[in-house]
Amino acid sequence: MEVSPSPSDSDLARTRPQPSWWSSMLSPLQSLSTNRRALPWLVQGGVGLLLLLMIAFLLANLVRNLSATGLLLTWRWLGQPAGFDVSESLLPFSPDLPYWRALLVGLVNTLRAVIVGLIGSTLLGTLVGMASFSSNALLRRLVRLYVEINRNIPLLLQLVFWYFVVFLALPNGSAALQLPGVVLAKSGLYLAGAAAHGWQLPTLVNGVWQAPLRLSVEFAALLTGLIVHISAFIAEVVRGGIASVPRGQWEAASSLGLHWWATLRRIILPQALRVIVPGLNSQYINLAKGTSLAVAVGYTDLYSVAETTLNQTGRAIEVYLILLSAYLIIDLGISAVMNGLNRLVQLRER
Amino acid sequence: MMTSPPPSAAPLMIEARAVHKWYPNGFHALRGCDLRVARGEVVVIMGPSGSGKSTFLRTFNALEDFQQGSIVIDGIPLCDDLRQIDAIRREVGMVFQQFNLFPHLTVLQNLTLAPVLVRRRPRDEVEAQARRLLERVGIAEQADKFPGQLSGGQQQRVAIARSLCMEPRILLFDEPTSALDPEMVREVLDVMQTLARDGMTMVVVTHEVGFARQVAHRVVLMADGEVVEEAPPQQFFTAPAQDRSRRFLEQIL
Amino acid sequence: MAGLLRRLRRDYFANPLDAALSITLGLLLTAALLAGLRWALSQAQWAVIQVNATLFAVGRYPLEQQWRLWLVTALLAAASGSSWGLLRALPRRDRRREAQLWPGNDRIAVAGFAALALVLPALLGLSLPLQLRWWLISALLLAARWVCGRWGQGRRGRQALRLLPLAWPCLYLFGLGLIAGGLGLIAVPPNEWGGLLLTLVQASLAILLCFPLGVLLALGRRSTLPLLRWSSVLYIEFIRGAPLITLLFLGQNILGFLLPGGVAPERVWRAALVLTLFAAAYLAEAVRAGLAAVPRGQLEAARSLGLSTAQALARVVLPQAIRTAVPAMVGQFISLLQDTTLLSLIGLLELLGSARTVMANPAFLGRNAEVYLTLAVLFWCCCAALGLGSRALERRLNPNTTA
Repeated sequence: MEVSPSPSDSDLARTRPQPSWWSSMLSPLQSLSTNRRALPWLVQGGVGLLLLLMIAFLLANLVRNLSATGLLLTWRWLGQPAGFDVSESLLPFSPDLPYWRALLVGLVNTLRAVIVGLIGSTLLGTLVGMASFSSNALLRRLVRLYVEINRNIPLLLQLVFWYFVVFLALPNGSAALQLPGVVLAKSGLYLAGAAAHGWQLPTLVNGVWQAPLRLSVEFAALLTGLIVHISAFIAEVVRGGIASVPRGQWEAASSLGLHWWATLRRIILPQALRVIVPGLNSQYINLAKGTSLAVAVGYTDLYSVAETTLNQTGRAIEVYLILLSAYLIIDLGISAVMNGLNRLVQLRER
Repeated sequence: MMTSPPPSAAPLMIEARAVHKWYPNGFHALRGCDLRVARGEVVVIMGPSGSGKSTFLRTFNALEDFQQGSIVIDGIPLCDDLRQIDAIRREVGMVFQQFNLFPHLTVLQNLTLAPVLVRRRPRDEVEAQARRLLERVGIAEQADKFPGQLSGGQQQRVAIARSLCMEPRILLFDEPTSALDPEMVREVLDVMQTLARDGMTMVVVTHEVGFARQVAHRVVLMADGEVVEEAPPQQFFTAPAQDRSRRFLEQIL
Repeated sequence: MAGLLRRLRRDYFANPLDAALSITLGLLLTAALLAGLRWALSQAQWAVIQVNATLFAVGRYPLEQQWRLWLVTALLAAASGSSWGLLRALPRRDRRREAQLWPGNDRIAVAGFAALALVLPALLGLSLPLQLRWWLISALLLAARWVCGRWGQGRRGRQALRLLPLAWPCLYLFGLGLIAGGLGLIAVPPNEWGGLLLTLVQASLAILLCFPLGVLLALGRRSTLPLLRWSSVLYIEFIRGAPLITLLFLGQNILGFLLPGGVAPERVWRAALVLTLFAAAYLAEAVRAGLAAVPRGQLEAARSLGLSTAQALARVVLPQAIRTAVPAMVGQFISLLQDTTLLSLIGLLELLGSARTVMANPAFLGRNAEVYLTLAVLFWCCCAALGLGSRALERRLNPNTTA
């Protein structure tokens, strides 16, 4: 292969642009734009300018439109009476109480759903995830089916399905579905629990069910839908985590004579947790965000209350700020806890 | 048999003077390195790991920057001007330890990508040249395969052909055979020897003493970021001048 | 036969616990299946689907203009069939033998498709003209597949294949134009689009438009320049932390305030914009993972060959990153398709919204189960099909498998 000198485009670097007034203006900019050190700053400056212009444009419009309709940013409306009722709440509430109280009730409802949902979906998801390693092929196939169904059908559709087709179709009164300790009726879910005088089962009093713990049908439907849906994803996370543990661990345990269940619990799961915990974080956040669909089943969570508030007061910006901050804080809370868990799970290996 | 020495009046392709490099964490990677490479010369850089030899090599095509000193490649000084850097990179080819072939393109496409995009040559012409090059390195029949389907030695030969397709004036080799199984090292070294015989200017970082002895015009020893000794291989391997060189040779020979 | 028995024994009856489990589950499943079938065939009233099929499919799209929708469907069928045929006709360059025009799984696919096309209209109880059109369009798809399979081998086919990435966007735009109207055709405003039509339009718009923004965000997220990095991070984390419904809500109510004159575009476009911005953040994460998987040496090799950063990114890094990110990206698209159901909560009558208006009709009160089940099956089929398509795409793009 001959090594012939190629036409000297190294001369390119030595030529000077023809001087003219606009090129002498532009040439410092040009040489800056080809300078390896200056270019990043130039790019950042350009992008920064663009972003600033965009934000300034939007903000200017916002302020102008808001002042035109008399809706400039203020928080005084929070103290005015709400004028609407919420379908259920842990705190006492009535329509003459102020808006901020209504929003608080909504927030508490959301948190209720999030906490119970997290616990339920984790339990169910872990069970299903572990079942996908069963020696029984039928069980494995069922697990696959369960996961595929939940992944391919939208959460909202599942929620309305559970609410309208299952829970609202429950019989009432004495015809209600009675299981040990639990009564499923159209008026709600009644659970046995600790009461003033010891353990009390749900009892029928004058055609109306009474029990220490009652969940509204809306809440039950929301929980069921959320738990079933998210547990499928958690099952996949758990399955992936367990699958990430090297085959050799199983073999070593079985050569020591450990039963399948004991191996899973004591040897595999602790190692799998390293992979599982980060995956759980994103699923938990999905769950927290999924509670906002409660509006479709009539459960008054934070979003539902906020929507009603906005429709009544027209205070879009303020309501939106409240909504966003609340969900952001919930997300950050979940992430903080999961990151702490993560560190715990990782440290053990050291 | 050694390659014939270049004419003494050959122009300088690489001229590095007092090059210093510090990493952001303060580590002084290159401490005042000098190197002159004339056209047609084959220079082998050797040294213990961590000596900075790869770093030094990579400064020649601006993959690493440096804080002090000067480097002039074929008359073009290395500075912060991107146009000059691009011009230098067109003339300097590099062969990597990990081959770095583009896995989503066929072997032929790997070769033709740069000449078509950078030198703006017509595709048919470049394809013909690429096929010729593949034949010279001995893998013409693999032209339509993907890199993942080739062996390590074949991949590295493709990498060499890819660099050659840009018609560079200097070829840099960063430990080209270190990632290969032993039985494939020979085929790559043979290609490199042919290139040297045809007069290519080469700077090779390697541990292959046989190659250095047979092909190199000069061996450079680097340690701790400094150039310790430079000598023709005949002299370097039998009677090194520095203590450090002697210690190094004891370890590898 | 003995092998089958042995396999059954190992899979389902390996130990007493398994045997008990298999028997119990088997019995429960059969009971549930039988109960379901009995309900579906006797108690369920499927008239709600048959009567409202048009509403579910296209919402309140004017009846006289629906021929345009049929035209779009026919064009899509022809294009899909042609693409399918061309891809099958041309082997990848690295394989020496000719591609099998009708490999095993293709025959199954064609048979399944034909069966579905024959049976489904009857199942849904569609009227005869609709059935005929359905059959015609399915036949068109299969015919296109067959024709392109025969014609597409060799150089002509290769040229056609190269035109394909150009043809589809043009077809898409043309289809949208046909649906919306304008130049010469009667304009059908977006608030009259509904049902499956609206779902598909929203999902496809968001998927296509979020791509450039998502890739830019991913590149920005990995950039070393602080401004680019932090603005990308801020955007992505902001979007990912908020429930989609709140963002849609925001879009509907606040977008008007952000534009001069307080005038907001149509609700459909507002929702499409929010969906696009939403999808871009998630796509950015998928592409970012893909970018991280590309070894640093690739960029170095490209730069040392003389390619500029832009060329190196476009020709070397991004193609590899996107190939790696395909499974994650298709997962995002499937989620996006499912997320269009949230549009029903802000008053847009896509598939779920249309379903709810149908059930508000006193004639169909209480037919929740039938309607929701049908929707569930529809979504399941679409999403599962997308999943299968993604796996096929992965195999085709991955140079290390022979597909």
